[in-house]
Amino acid sequence: MNIIGPDALVFGVDDVAACRQYLIDYGLKDAGGGRFEALDGTAVVIRAKDDASLPPGLGTASMLRETVYGVADAKTLDAIEAELRRDREVIRRDGVLRCADDMGFALAFQVSVRRPLALAAETVNAPGAAPQRGPNGIGVTPDMPALPRSLSHVVYFVPDVAKAEAFYKRLGFVCTDRFTGVGPFLRPAGTLDHHTLFMIQTPPFMKGCEHFTFHMGGPTEVLLAGTRFVEKGYQSFWGPGRHLYGSNWFWYFNSPLGCHVEYDADMDLHDDTWIARETSMGADASQAFLFQYREKWAPSGPPPGAKP
Amino acid sequence: MRLCHLDDLPDGDSRGFELRATGRDTIFVVRQGASLHGWLNVCPHHGAPLAWRKDAYLDAARNRVVCGAHGAQFEIHTGLCTLGPCLGQALTPVPLTLSGDGAVHVAATFTEETTP
Repeated sequence: MNIIGPDALVFGVDDVAACRQYLIDYGLKDAGGGRFEALDGTAVVIRAKDDASLPPGLGTASMLRETVYGVADAKTLDAIEAELRRDREVIRRDGVLRCADDMGFALAFQVSVRRPLALAAETVNAPGAAPQRGPNGIGVTPDMPALPRSLSHVVYFVPDVAKAEAFYKRLGFVCTDRFTGVGPFLRPAGTLDHHTLFMIQTPPFMKGCEHFTFHMGGPTEVLLAGTRFVEKGYQSFWGPGRHLYGSNWFWYFNSPLGCHVEYDADMDLHDDTWIARETSMGADASQAFLFQYREKWAPSGPPPGAKP
Repeated sequence: MRLCHLDDLPDGDSRGFELRATGRDTIFVVRQGASLHGWLNVCPHHGAPLAWRKDAYLDAARNRVVCGAHGAQFEIHTGLCTLGPCLGQALTPVPLTLSGDGAVHVAATFTEETTP
């Protein structure tokens, strides 16, 4: 089943104004109607928590109300519908298929709204390799844009990770890597990205969204966007750093959406020849390295108080 | 040590204070009139900071402390988590004293570095 990845995440929030400002400052574009878009049209949708148009909440602190998957074509919607009608209620209306997964997360499937992007990736020059940036090409400038390009992945806390994984396997997701006793990184068939969904086993009262992230153009954009976000007063949670599974650069922030919000970049791609790795979760397994924001500083000249 | 003057605390809202040079608020104070509630800026779930933005520790109605990590909710008066990953646990209180001239003081122990 040719599922590409998440097209949108829909939240029912406590503080709509705060979430709106947060997502704009994060770098998404206010597209109206509570929709905040990345460059390719993938989005986060914000509604008031008591909005009657939202699917029911999860009964926890989580504010995630729906995960909208983009698929390749109507034929894929037919295949998903046929598979899910075997054991659950599915509603198909106006080209959108709606149901709930085995943990109770509301899902929607639609022909993807993603717009094709034609943007350069971050370039690197290194001895021994052909230059990626030719003579007089500048690598970084203070005012260069660093905007989220595409909704990358969502991470769920789930009370029964084996059952949750089995559901997504029915839809053609494959496990690319696994943290033992924690959960799988899952890749749907319509993308080579290491994961668009990761799940973490937790007690039932934690069920919900742990984080979501958008892909940036490269590590420089992750660090630049994250630095600008900190300078606006937002609270870093974890990072910047680089994960081992997926190789993606990361920087996570607190948010008023009831979950962390991340910038990521440069994720590994995998195809069906890949054999999933498995290890115990821990600090060493989660990241190759981890740094922490600090205010800009520079060494210069003589010690303070010295005569010039 | 002196933290601030009562007038420096927004009534009905929260404010964070960085007492250790860690780059983030060490404690936060919620003011409700002349009542002050001080808490360590540490969520019992991961030991991570609570605010999602500088000084932003409360829900929209300003009647709960909310963690910006996973939306855990805490009672302002007791620090008890009533919803979220640290359900049943509580924030660590920071005793504050309010003098007659409006000065707000915190015990010097909260300015010292501690090993997490």
